[in-house]
Amino acid sequence: MMEGVPLGYYLGLSGGLFLLGLFGVLTRRNPLLLLLAVELMLNSANVALVGFSRYWNVVDGQIFALVVMVVAAAEVVIGLGLIVAVFRQRLALDVDGLSSLKG
Amino acid sequence: MGERITFAIAAAVALGSAVGVVTLKNPFRAAVSLIGTLLGVAVIFLLLAAPFVAAIQIIVYAGAIVVLFLFVIAYLGERPVQLTQDPMARYEVVGWIAVIAVGVQGFIALANSKLVGIFDDPKPVDDIGSPRAIGEAFVDPFIVSFEATSLILLVAALGAVLLAKRAVLGEGGR
Amino acid sequence: MSDATLSGAYLGWFVLALPLLGAIILALIPGEPSRTLTRVIGVGSVAAAFVLVLSLFAQQLSVDAEERAGTSTLWEWIDLGSLRVDLEILVDPLSVLMMLVITGVGSLIVLYSTEYMSHDRDYRRFFVEMDFFIFAMLVLVLAANFVFLIVGWALVGLASYLLIGYYYDRPSAVAAAKKAFVINVLGDIGLVLAAFLLVRELGTLDFAEVFAAAPAQLGQGSFVAEMVALLLFVGAAAKSAQIPLHTWLPDAMEGPTPVSALIHAATMVTAGVYLIVRTNVLFELAPHIGDLVAVTGAVTLFVAATIAMVQEDIKRVLAWSTVSQIGYMVMAAGLGLYSSGMFHFLTHAFFKAALFLAAGIVIHALADEQSLDRMGGLRKHLRVAYFATAAGCLAIAGIPPFSGFFSKDEILAGALEAGTLGQVLAVVGLIGAGLTSFYMFRLLFRAFHGTEPEGGYAHAPHPSGKAMAVPVGILAVLATVGGLLQIPFVSHNLRDWLEPAITADPGIEATHGGEILIIIASLAVAAIGIGTAWWMFGKGSERRLAYAHKLPRLRAFLLDQWRFDEVYEAAVIQPGRDLGDAGVRSAEIGVGQGPIIAAEAVTGAGARILSRVENGLVRTYAMAVIAGAAIVGILLVLAR
Repeated sequence: MMEGVPLGYYLGLSGGLFLLGLFGVLTRRNPLLLLLAVELMLNSANVALVGFSRYWNVVDGQIFALVVMVVAAAEVVIGLGLIVAVFRQRLALDVDGLSSLKG
Repeated sequence: MGERITFAIAAAVALGSAVGVVTLKNPFRAAVSLIGTLLGVAVIFLLLAAPFVAAIQIIVYAGAIVVLFLFVIAYLGERPVQLTQDPMARYEVVGWIAVIAVGVQGFIALANSKLVGIFDDPKPVDDIGSPRAIGEAFVDPFIVSFEATSLILLVAALGAVLLAKRAVLGEGGR
Repeated sequence: MSDATLSGAYLGWFVLALPLLGAIILALIPGEPSRTLTRVIGVGSVAAAFVLVLSLFAQQLSVDAEERAGTSTLWEWIDLGSLRVDLEILVDPLSVLMMLVITGVGSLIVLYSTEYMSHDRDYRRFFVEMDFFIFAMLVLVLAANFVFLIVGWALVGLASYLLIGYYYDRPSAVAAAKKAFVINVLGDIGLVLAAFLLVRELGTLDFAEVFAAAPAQLGQGSFVAEMVALLLFVGAAAKSAQIPLHTWLPDAMEGPTPVSALIHAATMVTAGVYLIVRTNVLFELAPHIGDLVAVTGAVTLFVAATIAMVQEDIKRVLAWSTVSQIGYMVMAAGLGLYSSGMFHFLTHAFFKAALFLAAGIVIHALADEQSLDRMGGLRKHLRVAYFATAAGCLAIAGIPPFSGFFSKDEILAGALEAGTLGQVLAVVGLIGAGLTSFYMFRLLFRAFHGTEPEGGYAHAPHPSGKAMAVPVGILAVLATVGGLLQIPFVSHNLRDWLEPAITADPGIEATHGGEILIIIASLAVAAIGIGTAWWMFGKGSERRLAYAHKLPRLRAFLLDQWRFDEVYEAAVIQPGRDLGDAGVRSAEIGVGQGPIIAAEAVTGAGARILSRVENGLVRTYAMAVIAGAAIVGILLVLAR
C-alpha cells in the first residue's frame, strides 16, 4: 500500500508541462503568448528540481527553483519591455515580423 | 491515499490549464489560464515538502508576473495585427517530429532510469523546505548565487525601463 | 641580504602609486585641464613621492645597518607549483638611493619642465608621460624579483619611447624613438633569457633566494654563471647605452630637453649600472664576464669622449658625454667597485642634470637653437645657465672640490688595485678624463664666452623664469658639494650605506699611494684638457676655424660617430630588409597566399550556404535547439 507520491510521477508531470510549453513556443506567433509558453517550460523545470530536492532530501533543488524564478521574473520584465518597444514602433505583434537578423 | 488524490487533482489542474495557455487565441484568457497552472504547481510544491517555494510561487508568479502580463495586455489594447502567411509552415513537420522525439526520449529515460526507488513510496524527508532552512542555505553555501540574483534583477529593471521608456526627441529617440 | 626587517617597507608601494596615480588622474581629466592644475598634479605627485622616500630614508638611518632592508608583498602573482613569483618590492639601501635620485632629481626636472614646456600645445601629455616614466623607473628599482624587474625594465623602455617621440610630427623624433625602443628590447631579451636560465638552474627568481643559492648551485666561474652574467650584461648594456648598443642614446636627444636630463642622463640610462650592482653576486661568480663588462665600459668611455669632442649640437655633446660617463660606472661595476660606481651615478645625476637643464635654458632662450655655432657670449645674458654649466663642467672634469673629482678618482684609484686589467683601464679612464675636460670646456667656452655669433642670435636671449632657474640652481649646488659624501682617506659613507645590498663586494681598497697618484694625474690631464680648450676656443672662433681642417679624415670619422650606424645599416638592417623582401617575393605570394585564397574560397562558400539557415525567424532557432537536443538524446539512448 503506497501512501506518498513517487518521484517518477512528478517527473512525468514535469515532462508533460515541458512538452506543452514547447508546443506553445513553436506554434505561437504572438510574442505575449510565446512568453507565457516559456513560463510553462520554466515551471516544469521547477517541478523537477523540487522533486529531486525531495528525493535526495537536500535543499539545493529548492534553492535552484528560487533562482529560476528570479531569472523568469527578469526575463518577463525584459520581454514585456521589448514588446512595448515594438508596439511603440507600430509594428505588427508577430515574432516572425522581427526578422531583421536574417543572414 | 490522500496525498495521491491531491497530486492527481493538482496535476490535472496544472496540465489542463497549460493546454489552455498554449491553445487559447486571446492573450488575456491565456494569461488567466496560466494562473491555473501556477496554482497547481504550487500545490505540487507543497506536496514536495517545499512550503516556502510554494508561497513564493504564488506571490511572485501568480501575483507579480501574471499581473504584469495582464497590465501589458491591457496597455496594448485591441488584438494586435498578425502577419497573414506563416513563414514557418514548411518547417512545421520538422518541429512536430522534434517535439515528439523529445517526449519519447523523456519517457524512455524515465522508464529506464537507474535511480533507486523512483517509483517506490518516498522516504521520509527532513525539514528542508521551511523558510528557516531556505534562509540558512541562502546565507551560507549559496550566498554568491543569492547576491548574483539581486544583480540580475537590477539589470533587468534598468533594461526594462530603458526599453520601454518613451523616446525623447534629440536623445536618439526613435 | 639580511632578513626582511624594515617595518616601513610597505611605504614603497605608496611611492610607486603616487606618480602612477598622478599620471592616470592627469590623463583622465575630461576636457583640457588648466595649466595650473596640470602643474600641481604633475609636479605634486612626484614631489610627494620624494617626501615619502625621504621618510623611508630617515627610517633606515634610525636603525642598524642589518635592519635597513625589507620586503613587502602585495599579493601572490604567479604560482606554478615549483616556481612562485610574488608582486613584491625590496626596500634596501641601494633601492632607496636610486629612489632618492629618481624622485628628487625627478621632481626638480618636472618642476623645470613646467616653464620649459610652456609653449607646447600638448602640455598635459608631457606631464602624464613624465609621471609615467617615474613610476616605471621606480618599479625597476623597487622590484624584489626578476619578473617584476623585467616589467619595470620594459615599462621604462616604453616611457622612454613615448618621450623621445614626444614631438611625433617630426619624422626624426619618431625614427629615434623607434631606434631606442628596438635596441632596448634587445636588452629586454637578454634579461628575459637570463631569467629563464636562473629558473632552470635555481628554480626561483626572487632576488634574495637567487643570491643565496647562486654561489653554491652555479659555482664560481662555471659556464652557466658566465652565461647568466653575460645575458644580464646584454640587458644592462642596452639600457645604459654601452658599446655596441649605444647608438640610440645620441638620437634620443630628439626628445624635449627635460626628458634628456631626466631619462637619458640621470635615471634610465643608469638602470644598467643598477642592474649590475644589484646582481653583484652573479657577476662576482663570472670573472670573465666581469672583465668583459669593465673593458666594455672603458672602450665606451673612450669612444664616446672622442665623439663628443667634435659635436656641434649642444645636446649631442652632452649625450655623448653621458655615454662616456656611464662607461666609467660600468667599468667600475665590472671591476667589482660597486659602491664607487653608484657614487659616480649619484654625482653624475647631479652634474649631468644640471648641465642638461642649463643647456635647456640656453635652447629655450634662443628659441630652440641647439647649434654651438649659433651661440657665444651668452655669459652676459644667461647668468644662471652660465654658472650651472660652469659648475657642471668643473664637476665632470674632476676639479676639487666639485663632486666629480671624488667619484671619478675613487673609480680610478680603485681600478689601480684591481689587477693588471684594472691598471690598464685606469689609464684609459685617465685619458678619457682629459678628453672629457676638453670637450666640456669646449662647450662652455663656445656657448658662453667669446662674442655673439656672426649674424646675431636666432632669437634675442631672455633670462629664464624662477621655475627653470631654481631647479638648475639646486642641481648646480648639488653638483658642487655632492662629492663630499665620500672623501678619500676621510670618509666612506656611501660604501657603508650600500654594504647590506652589495653582499659580494670583493673589498678592493685603494692604497694611499695610488690615491695620491691618481689625484695628481687626473688633475694634470684635466688641466691639459681645459688649457687646450681655452687655447682653441677661449678667444673667439679664429683659432678653432684654423684647426678644424687639420685632420679632416679623423674629424669626419668622429663626426660620423665612429660609423657605428653605418656598420649596423650594412650588417643588420639591410640584410634584414633584403631577407624580408625575398620572403615577400617567394614565400608570401607563393606559399603564404595560396592556402589563404583557398581557405577564403571554402569558408566563403560554406558561409553562403549556412547563412540561409539564419532566416531571422526566432521560432526556427528554437526548433533547431530542440532538434539538436532530440538528436543528442537519440544518440544517448542508442549508445546504451
